Amino acid sequence: MATISNDPSTQVNVALEVESLKKSFGGVAAVDGVSFSVEKGTITGLIGPNGAGKSTMVNLISGALKPDSGHIRLDGHEIGGLEPHQIGARGLIRTFQISREYPDMTVMENLIVSAANQGERLINVCFRPSVGKKRDRELVERALHTLVTFGLYPLRNEYARNLSGGQKRLLELSRAVMADPKVLLLDEPMAGVNPALIEKLGEHIVGLNKELGTTFVLVEHNLEIVEKICSKVIVVALGATLAVGTMAELRKNQAVVEAYLGGDVRERVGS
Amino acid sequence: MDIILGYVTTILVFFFTYNIFTLGLNIQFGYTGILNFTVITFMAIGGYVAAVLAMPKAPAGSGIYYILGLNLPWPIAALGGVLAAGLLGYLIGQIALKRLRSDYLAIVTLATGTLLYGLIGNGTSIFDGWQGLFNVPQPFAGFRTWTPLGYSIFFTIVTAVIFVFLWLFANRIYKSPLGRVMRAVRDDQDVVEAFGKNTFKIRMTAMVLGSMYVGVGGVLTIAYITALSPAGWTTGETFVVWAALLVGGRGNNFGAIVGSFLVAVVFNEATRYLPQIPAHPNLIPDIRYVLIGLAVILSVYFRPQGVFPEKKNTFFEVPLGDNSKTIEEHLAGGLSKVGEQ
Repeated sequence: MATISNDPSTQVNVALEVESLKKSFGGVAAVDGVSFSVEKGTITGLIGPNGAGKSTMVNLISGALKPDSGHIRLDGHEIGGLEPHQIGARGLIRTFQISREYPDMTVMENLIVSAANQGERLINVCFRPSVGKKRDRELVERALHTLVTFGLYPLRNEYARNLSGGQKRLLELSRAVMADPKVLLLDEPMAGVNPALIEKLGEHIVGLNKELGTTFVLVEHNLEIVEKICSKVIVVALGATLAVGTMAELRKNQAVVEAYLGGDVRERVGS
Repeated sequence: MDIILGYVTTILVFFFTYNIFTLGLNIQFGYTGILNFTVITFMAIGGYVAAVLAMPKAPAGSGIYYILGLNLPWPIAALGGVLAAGLLGYLIGQIALKRLRSDYLAIVTLATGTLLYGLIGNGTSIFDGWQGLFNVPQPFAGFRTWTPLGYSIFFTIVTAVIFVFLWLFANRIYKSPLGRVMRAVRDDQDVVEAFGKNTFKIRMTAMVLGSMYVGVGGVLTIAYITALSPAGWTTGETFVVWAALLVGGRGNNFGAIVGSFLVAVVFNEATRYLPQIPAHPNLIPDIRYVLIGLAVILSVYFRPQGVFPEKKNTFFEVPLGDNSKTIEEHLAGGLSKVGEQ
């Protein structure tokens, strides 16, 4: 099913490419021909006013929704229309707008269970229990490193449901790290987070990007943090790409300002 | 004395088979969060199929009809019954697990169970309809000449051994990476899916395994009683198993044992000693269900996690008795030695 794209625009350094993606609900076109690409190893912002179709785009890219038409390519391979788990297994991991920890599992378990290839097969349970045990040891060690990095180590044996809102955000990010993603698609990771923790989450994202080379796509409403950490920002409005550039460039872009404020700004300011 | 012992062995067989049902439901619901509201149907299918595999052909003109009648030795018949229960779980899973979850899934399982109940009851040529199967050959009858009590005791021991094996295996699943992923599916299926794991496959594994567990209980039931009719597996029976799991503690296999004891033995059996009221023959069975319902309500209200809640799982700790270094220093030094104790 996955074929290498012959599209000349697909370059080796593109991690994620979206091309003329469309999705309608009834008669409403939520995503209407959006196209953009995300270079490998970058932190790319995806912003846009409410109703721009950002959440639908995230759901299309992660496979939770099936596109009506268009292409989504991960490392040059078509992933549009695949099941969410197939996309996840190919290295595109998403997080959710609202923290969705595994409430009745400990913080440590939340991390370990998120890793790929744990040996979670019935045949291992029956005949080769040592496979899981051996892998568990590696995973515990990795999880400990991650927990220390994110400052969650003291909470390792706490049930995830007992964490505070901010701690759950950190847990989501550290859990995503355990999956060793190529592309990490963060859906509003700063929503409902206090300014101090926004800083901290931003630092973690930059740190992971530098150390592990993970490509980040950050769907976010907090433009301050987007400006701080994103090298490139894609603006979407009405389900299509409106502009691409750095935050500084976009601030001068009339179309972007209008999309955010609605209508013709000059007219309103002038009258 | 023999009567009392015979009674005790019968209760023990009940206790162990209910335990096996509860373990099966625990794998489905307690581990994986699958709301199976037709547990007892898997018991019936397991039992019936094992019986028709072990029984000889129905004598012509006797007015008794059932399929197969292959007269196979019991080990093969029992295996066939368990596999049939697993196959039914697979088929229901194909319908219900693909797109449905939570209450919708529960309704589909309940409806499937009711359909099969009507089908088996009214379809007289499958398992002899409402009459049910009887004179099922006893599995160990040919070993030696048994006294009735000796046979009961031997059967109890066999049931206990099978139960212990299944209990250990259920615990092994729980502690394995597979069990861990199952619990993650229970907690949030979408997230597990987003992390690249095929949740349909995981839920199907739990569904089939749980069904096979209940099937084992069904095979043991029909082998011990040597008869089974639809009156023995009404929808209410499913909720006795649910009550056992909820009162005992979902996710905890020890809780499942305690729940089976409380519900299946104490409530189900103790209420048989309430004096019968001749004018209302159904009063006592109804009171039994009222009491079981009350036990569920009380336990959900006062101890929502059950008498024995799920245990917290911990992993090896660093530093192990060595507090001279911080965790960062330990991690920097590598953990190759740690945790091998």
